[in-house]
Amino acid sequence: MPVLECKGLTKRFGRATALEDVSLTIEPGRIVGLLGPNGSGKTTLIKLANGLLTPEGGYIAVCGAAPGRESHGQVSYLPERTAIPTWMTARQLLDFYGDFYQDFRREAAEEMLDHLGILPQQTIKQMSKGTREKVQLVMVMSRAAKLYLLDEPIGGVDPATRDYILSTIIGNYNPEAAVVISTHLIADVEKVLDEVIFINQGHVVLQSTVDDIREEKGMSVDELFREVFKC
Amino acid sequence: MLRKLLKHEFRATGRIMLPIYLILLVTAVGSNLAGRGMMDGRSEALNILGVLIIMAFGFAICGALLMAFVLMIQRFYKNLLQDEGYLMFTLPVSVHQHIWSKLIVSAVWFIATVLAIIAASLVVAYQGGFLRELLDLLRYFLEGLQKLKISEAFNGTIYLVEFAILMFLSLVAFSLQFYAALAAGHSQANHKMLWSVAWFFGMQFVLQFGGSLLMVGLNKLDLYDRLFSHWDPTPAVAIHVGLLMAIGFLILYSAIFYAITTFFLKKHLNLE
Repeated sequence: MPVLECKGLTKRFGRATALEDVSLTIEPGRIVGLLGPNGSGKTTLIKLANGLLTPEGGYIAVCGAAPGRESHGQVSYLPERTAIPTWMTARQLLDFYGDFYQDFRREAAEEMLDHLGILPQQTIKQMSKGTREKVQLVMVMSRAAKLYLLDEPIGGVDPATRDYILSTIIGNYNPEAAVVISTHLIADVEKVLDEVIFINQGHVVLQSTVDDIREEKGMSVDELFREVFKC
Repeated sequence: MLRKLLKHEFRATGRIMLPIYLILLVTAVGSNLAGRGMMDGRSEALNILGVLIIMAFGFAICGALLMAFVLMIQRFYKNLLQDEGYLMFTLPVSVHQHIWSKLIVSAVWFIATVLAIIAASLVVAYQGGFLRELLDLLRYFLEGLQKLKISEAFNGTIYLVEFAILMFLSLVAFSLQFYAALAAGHSQANHKMLWSVAWFFGMQFVLQFGGSLLMVGLNKLDLYDRLFSHWDPTPAVAIHVGLLMAIGFLILYSAIFYAITTFFLKKHLNLE
């Protein structure tokens, strides 16, 4: 059963169309790059999969069900902004995730926070923007979810932090799950992807495995992206 | 899951309300001391200090009430409709549980604030023999209760329960008016807060207008005369009927706002 499936999905904001007639399927055990330029509809698609937006048309299912209470227990979502309450301490944040998610692996999260040098009594507010993003990622990747939806996990951070984030994702995700990484920084993520979905102006323009792109088109994902989205 | 939401909601709000209660207590103790000879005119500086402490107590009372109100709105807005909403609305909990957690915690803080103000006022009034007088008063009250007939005691208990329900529902209805307006306004793509204000006043106008039309309609039906020409209730029963009607009205009023809030959060959630 696909972990994420959309058919004819459409989302509008007033007169602007963010997604139009999007159909795609993501199977478990894959790391998928949701790639497209800024404003192409990547975040909208991820927010629809999380039930944070309501579609105007079409259908979206996560683990066989419409986004909602059931699917939230199976999806681990990293938003593109800091959503964790900044007044909380690291310990309170661990309590929070542990209370609400049965699949939360507290020991793994504690180990990663310790590796980052974050003290349990330190509040999120006291941390730098980069550290907050790392803490949020640690919480998301410490879940044994069936689908990880990571919205711009490496956007706006330095190259060293990018490496840390990607190694945290690869080192901690549940191998039976699917990981969707939305980004426009193709070269950094290309090495970890099994599959890519190109999205442009609210339309899916390509869904293919990385191996097929290399074999059939004889170019890297980054090169193909530059060709497809040439200005 | 509601229990867990309540735990974290109390944790988030307690860090603000509890220090305010502490300030209330400290200024109450200060005001008590100010009333014990600090302002008897012996020293100008002590006089001014006494006045300032009493003023601080007044500000602390206003501040506590204001903060309970601000927190009720701010927690719903910031925790559900701003950035934190990305975390909250992806938890495996229902929209109903989110709304009830906010309602219950707000109502608890409103009640706790009133109790804290009463306790602080008792601290201000405390002087030699005060406790003894208070205990005497309590004893007279208990003795009075023992002299009550069974029917009076029964009615009194029911009144208390009805009154408590009425108070809780009043707080719930009060909070839900704001929640409904915020949820509806934030379903829009742009100018979310402006839309929320418009929704608030729009809903008030529609309800006032609809309520007035309903009253006029009911008046024309002569319900009062029809009911009381066949029924002559005792004063005790009449009070019960009045309280139950008020409870019924508040349930209906709250249900309308609750339905609007859940409709927009469930069907038209549009986080920025």
